[in-house]
Amino acid sequence: MSAQTARFDPLGLAVMSHAVAMIAEDMGSVLMRGALSPNIRERRDASCALFDARGRMIAQAAHIPVHLGAMPESVRAVMARPYASGDVWILNDPNHGGSHLPDLTLVEVIGDGSEVIGFAAVRAHHADVGGMSPGSMPFGATELVQEGIVIPPVRLVAGGVPDEALLALLLANVRTPGERRGDLAAQRAACATGAAGWRALRARVGASALDAAAGALLDYAERRASARLEEVGVRRGFAEDALEGDGVTDAPVPLRVEVAITASGRLQLDFTGTSPRVRGNVNCPVQVTRAASLFVLRTLLADDVPTNEGIARVIDLKVPDDSCISARWPAAVAAGNVEMSQRITDLLFAALADAGVPVIAQGQGTMNNVTFGGAGWTFYETLGGGQGASAVGAGPSAVHVGMSNTRNTPIESLERAYPMEIERYAIRRGSGGKGKHAGGDGVVRRYRVLEYCTVTLLTERRHRAPTGAMGGRPGAPGRNLLNGTEVPAKCRLQLQPGDVLTIETPGGGGWGG
Amino acid sequence: MSWSVGIDVGGTFTDLAAVGPDGALRTGKVLSTPADQGAGVADALARFGVPGAEIARIAHGTTVVTNLLLERSGARVVACLTEGATDLLELRRQERAALYDLTAHHPAPLVDHTRVVAVRERMNGDQVRVALTREECERVADAVAALEPEIVLVALLHSYASDAHERLLAESLRRRLRHVEVVRSGDVLPEIREYERTATAAAEAYARPRVMHYLGMLERRLASTGHPAPMVMTSGGGMRTTHDAARGAASLALSGPAGGVVGAAAVLRAAGFTQALTIDIGGTSADAGLIQQGEPLVEPGGEVAGIPIALPRVLVETVSAGGGSILWIDDGGALRVGPRSAGANPGPAAFARGGTAPTLTDAHVLLGHLDATHLSGGVTLDPAAAQAAIAPLAATLGVAPAAVAVAALAIADAAMARALRRVSVDRGVDPRDAVLVAFGGAGPLHGTALADLLEMRTVLIPPHAGVLSAVGLAMAPERREAASSVMLRADAFTEPRCTSLCQALAARAEGEDRRYVARVRYEGQGHELDIPVRDGDDGHAIAARFTSLHQLRTGFTLDRAVEIVAMRLAASGPQRAATFARSAAPTFDAARRIDEGGPCDAVLDGPTTIILSDATVRISAGWRARALAVGGWLVERV
Repeated sequence: MSAQTARFDPLGLAVMSHAVAMIAEDMGSVLMRGALSPNIRERRDASCALFDARGRMIAQAAHIPVHLGAMPESVRAVMARPYASGDVWILNDPNHGGSHLPDLTLVEVIGDGSEVIGFAAVRAHHADVGGMSPGSMPFGATELVQEGIVIPPVRLVAGGVPDEALLALLLANVRTPGERRGDLAAQRAACATGAAGWRALRARVGASALDAAAGALLDYAERRASARLEEVGVRRGFAEDALEGDGVTDAPVPLRVEVAITASGRLQLDFTGTSPRVRGNVNCPVQVTRAASLFVLRTLLADDVPTNEGIARVIDLKVPDDSCISARWPAAVAAGNVEMSQRITDLLFAALADAGVPVIAQGQGTMNNVTFGGAGWTFYETLGGGQGASAVGAGPSAVHVGMSNTRNTPIESLERAYPMEIERYAIRRGSGGKGKHAGGDGVVRRYRVLEYCTVTLLTERRHRAPTGAMGGRPGAPGRNLLNGTEVPAKCRLQLQPGDVLTIETPGGGGWGG
Repeated sequence: MSWSVGIDVGGTFTDLAAVGPDGALRTGKVLSTPADQGAGVADALARFGVPGAEIARIAHGTTVVTNLLLERSGARVVACLTEGATDLLELRRQERAALYDLTAHHPAPLVDHTRVVAVRERMNGDQVRVALTREECERVADAVAALEPEIVLVALLHSYASDAHERLLAESLRRRLRHVEVVRSGDVLPEIREYERTATAAAEAYARPRVMHYLGMLERRLASTGHPAPMVMTSGGGMRTTHDAARGAASLALSGPAGGVVGAAAVLRAAGFTQALTIDIGGTSADAGLIQQGEPLVEPGGEVAGIPIALPRVLVETVSAGGGSILWIDDGGALRVGPRSAGANPGPAAFARGGTAPTLTDAHVLLGHLDATHLSGGVTLDPAAAQAAIAPLAATLGVAPAAVAVAALAIADAAMARALRRVSVDRGVDPRDAVLVAFGGAGPLHGTALADLLEMRTVLIPPHAGVLSAVGLAMAPERREAASSVMLRADAFTEPRCTSLCQALAARAEGEDRRYVARVRYEGQGHELDIPVRDGDDGHAIAARFTSLHQLRTGFTLDRAVEIVAMRLAASGPQRAATFARSAAPTFDAARRIDEGGPCDAVLDGPTTIILSDATVRISAGWRARALAVGGWLVERV
């Protein structure tokens, strides 16, 4: 504990924790109310965070785990540049604080006069950022520039003055500029809300008290994370796994990790031996690896531990340079966010289980990305599946696992809006792995298309089943079928009216023999 | 004129408020009887003492639906769902129960999948894709009968657009199972989105038989003492006859909290304000609400015990912070308040009823905020017990017990302020532009502290702050509701079409004050705004109103077609007028600051406390309290 945090009265911890969480929640409210696109408003693929002047993340309102703890990188990328009070920076470059290109992050430099007192950051998944195919999650991409417009940290607003020329340049490179303009306006409003809240809190408690409180909150979260790891005890474990192809070839992409929990309550993760960067777009930047690691640690902690940068301090991460989980320019990364992130989570759960930590068996380990595109329309959705079972009970069925938690599209809404029918949407009974506690079941979704269209499938765990834990059996792998015939896990298909596509999502692993 | 009586059943107390022939209010309180709520209701009436013949109306706020959903003690339902979509209730919306606790399950569906019968039929919008045949209806009826239902649910895809198949099947079922009720989803909630509609209808079927039984018993019990049949408060803030209420069982799920906001709105109007946030703090939780234009905000949605019920309800957001919330120290060394609660039994340590855990109430007692001689419900205070309960925490933290108490109150305030911000900021309301109405047994203790956190300038402490829900019940008008799916673009919703739909709804719900609301969205949006509809409106007028509300709520409008999803009617009878006024006696005790509702024109500066007959007001430094002629206090920032 540093000298200045020692001066903070620990009786004030819970109050400050509520106060900063409230500001992050306000930012979230303003963003959700203002955003145009369903992906932000309904599926809540967005996050808001608040930072102090030193760039330490004090609070985050996360709606989706893949953004967990990834935004400090964005703020650091801005801090590496000549920032000033009243600026709003924008970025999406995975090599400079971004994750994948559709995630546009805005960072407002919060000022009190010319003094910089903190940062407000808002990340949101935009429905299109240009590139070779609508939705900017292209099948078969091998270079970052194919996936959309690449934005290094640049000033969207300089000292309070918006740069309309820059905005025009960005909007000229996307398919739906009107919607993007609206979503960005909502992100700016959310940043401004965060800035106003942070200024008001600072005015109420005083600058030095707020600085001490920020430090104390980070120390507090770190203490709680550490206390939990100490309770788990000294452990070592190992796991390896692989993705089923990189999106260009079907060759497996191997991952491996050694985990250790130390006597001093630290979580050491060494990914040495993981595949180098691959040609397709299942790579991810190291920020996504960090988010997945943080997510897995977060699942070990009580729900009421505040989400701030203090938790991340107990993780020691060792990742080989320019690997598929720390990919650098010019690697394509669009699918890494959705599928590689899931595999890293799976890998870490398996390694912790190997170390004797009572974690869940593997869940479906994929988001089952399905994108239809026809004349004048596109439709994208992701499908839930089985969660792994645990020592305390069976795994939940038909839910999103790991790094996603977005909602489904109602059958009635979908059938009204698009030329297709959902013939069947059901629990895939018996697909969860057997065991003392069974894994959760996957789902079956059967689409009958009524027009000519293409469908792009980006799915995983079609061959390598989710594994069980403590002698539990694996869950059933997923299957993709066109008119009853199995098709690859990752593919693009031309469909004719009457064609029936069936997606069967994987079941979770069982627990206990 | 004779009496109108409101009776609110809470976890600990059953509160009664009565508006007399002259409009004056009387209140009372008895202990609740959880095993049979009706006994407490009868007890409260007996204590009230006015003969049944002089009571025109008894309005009841009940937790019977909430409890049966929590305890899973509802009916054995058999559901008939479209083939291919029989797992809807289990699939929910595919999001998990908790973001980080991966072992957490959603509550099991109210109807297990082994009690679902698949129906071979398919609509798409109002187009028939697979016809429902007579043979299929009979096959389904046989299968349902074999499962021995107590009640049957029929919920078919696209029934919001056309309920022809649902009706056909329901008729067959009624013929085959003469003594079993059939609940149709298109009847309960005629709106698009199959999960929410089916889940709401399932809750209706699950609750209906028990609600009918409870209300029937209560009616007979009251009749035996010469009382009129009770009416019941809905989640939406209106009153229903027991007959109507039993057929809208799911709409009673948030009956209790709705009464409080309705009562707060009545007092707010009497005091001359229109916009407010409300905070109702009880023993185990605090409810935050919103009042706009003098009326509680009513929105569809919300969950009870993990069961989504997409019917209109008075907006209330609950946090686990109340007088009984337990103080503890977590593994990071931080002092915490709740969510565990000592509840009413054993209660706070200071109540000396066997509780030893330190609670928020003990913190107030330790700081001298509560007067030992003036506490409602016959409770006496033991300050030494409060001190003893908090001392171990103080020792662990190495500070004085009073410092722990101060910190605990600040923590509870911070949690409640968050809830108040969520209900306001989410709806585009700036708390600084609103009055804070603080009520419930513990609300007046926290009013000014919360207002400080939210930068609000005015706090209203209503008269009868401890029984305001019952006051709301006594005053609420009788209300009937009807709804219909529309699913048309605004430009196709012509004036004649609008008028004939309004007439059709009016035929289903009587009441002199008719309020029509259209559920409207931009085409392609996933949620709707409620837009008031007036005589002579057409789609364009509704769309214009929608556009300006959308601007207000979200800060933008879209260049996109506007779609009317559904229309609802709430038809109300007259509101029972209560005269909020101070009584003739006893006069305000200025020395001890005891206000029992009698004459008072005091002005008091904080920090200080004022003792009411059923609550204690705490005024922070920097605030000035003025006694109101209508009763209660208006507290303003100096």
